[in-house]
Amino acid sequence: MLKSNILSVEKLSCIRGERALFEDLSFELSNGQALHVRGMNGSGKTSLLRLLCGINQPEQGAINWNGISTNNNLNFFKCSVYIGHKDGLKNELSSIENLRVYQKLSTRTTSAADEQKLDACLAQLQILDCADLYTHQLSFGQRRRLTFARLLLNEFNLWILDEPFTGIDREGRALIEKLCEQHLNDGGLIVLTHHQSLENSAFKNRLNTLDL
Amino acid sequence: MNTFILFFAREWQLMFRNTSTLIQPLLFFIIIALLFPLSLPAENALLQRIGGGVIWVSAVFATLLSLESMFRADFHDGTLEQWLIQDRSLPLAILAKTLAHWTATGLLLTLFSPLLCLTFNIPSGQIWVLLLGLLLGTPSLSLIGAIGAAITVTLHRGGVLIAIIILPLYIPILIFGSGMLAQSGQGLNITSQLYALAAILVLAITLAPFAIASALKATID
Repeated sequence: MLKSNILSVEKLSCIRGERALFEDLSFELSNGQALHVRGMNGSGKTSLLRLLCGINQPEQGAINWNGISTNNNLNFFKCSVYIGHKDGLKNELSSIENLRVYQKLSTRTTSAADEQKLDACLAQLQILDCADLYTHQLSFGQRRRLTFARLLLNEFNLWILDEPFTGIDREGRALIEKLCEQHLNDGGLIVLTHHQSLENSAFKNRLNTLDL
Repeated sequence: MNTFILFFAREWQLMFRNTSTLIQPLLFFIIIALLFPLSLPAENALLQRIGGGVIWVSAVFATLLSLESMFRADFHDGTLEQWLIQDRSLPLAILAKTLAHWTATGLLLTLFSPLLCLTFNIPSGQIWVLLLGLLLGTPSLSLIGAIGAAITVTLHRGGVLIAIIILPLYIPILIFGSGMLAQSGQGLNITSQLYALAAILVLAITLAPFAIASALKATID
């Protein structure tokens, strides 16, 4: 069980050029809850997610993690993970090497169990047989799965997922939904965007929606 | 310190997987410097006099060539945005990456510069002056240049812009570096130039990583 966490957003506005994507957006998300951000193309879903994870800073409004601003908050960065459109994988490295880089980045101590953990993460996403392939040899769906293996590397409390089901087959989608359900049952938080309804997903009873 | 080692090792691993990034700046450096003895009148005295300056300018161009690709790949595949939201010191990570980058450009061409001294007929007593100067000067070239690379990382053709932004900042390093060689040729003391280059390097190591980190934060969105 992860300790209790609250992500709160107060009067957040996002202005792109001269157009306001959204204004005075407020919501709160606590343990075991998922937030489904819905909206048309260009309505600011990705912009919202990039503000939430800390890549961009809000011009107006505040994003707080347990009451403390997420701006340059290393503690928040430690327990959150963002998966966006760009997968952050290096073609020069094999799947397992890519994953290992992220593992070393997010863990301070090294232990003998680290390598087994990598294998376990790959196995959970059912891409263990791709472990030693260079990532440019992977299919798009396999790359996506490899990106999602990052979620399991560490006990991240908050998952921020931008269109997680893009390019993923039916089994993969079920797999990711199951991972999300497991994460929520363990007391995690999820913010995700998806253009379709998630009412039939594995975690539908923990789902909140936000329309932009 | 752990962060530094992690990012340094990662950069090295990537460079050795993609050896063209290692070889290109070095070859470029050697070829530019070799064009001068071929195109100038074959007078030993003339070549000797301009040799140091030519090698320094070639080193500047070679560094400049390698700068454009410095953050480009990391930006396009999304690695940079992940760096912005990890719980480690970004300036330290940037310092590690930049110094790793320097070992593949500045350090490598410093080690090859004595070879070029032969083509310019630079006396062996002066070779160590050039080596020392390049060793102190090229890390500053990489660190200052990385600021320009960070500012232009989102642009499609940022190469020329990097040159325009960064070359004026290279002038002091160039003056002290090649001036050192001219002075030692006349048998004068070179300590002041050495100190100046070292001071620029200390400033670059301490300040540039913060400037690069802020530039990356500001440009990525």
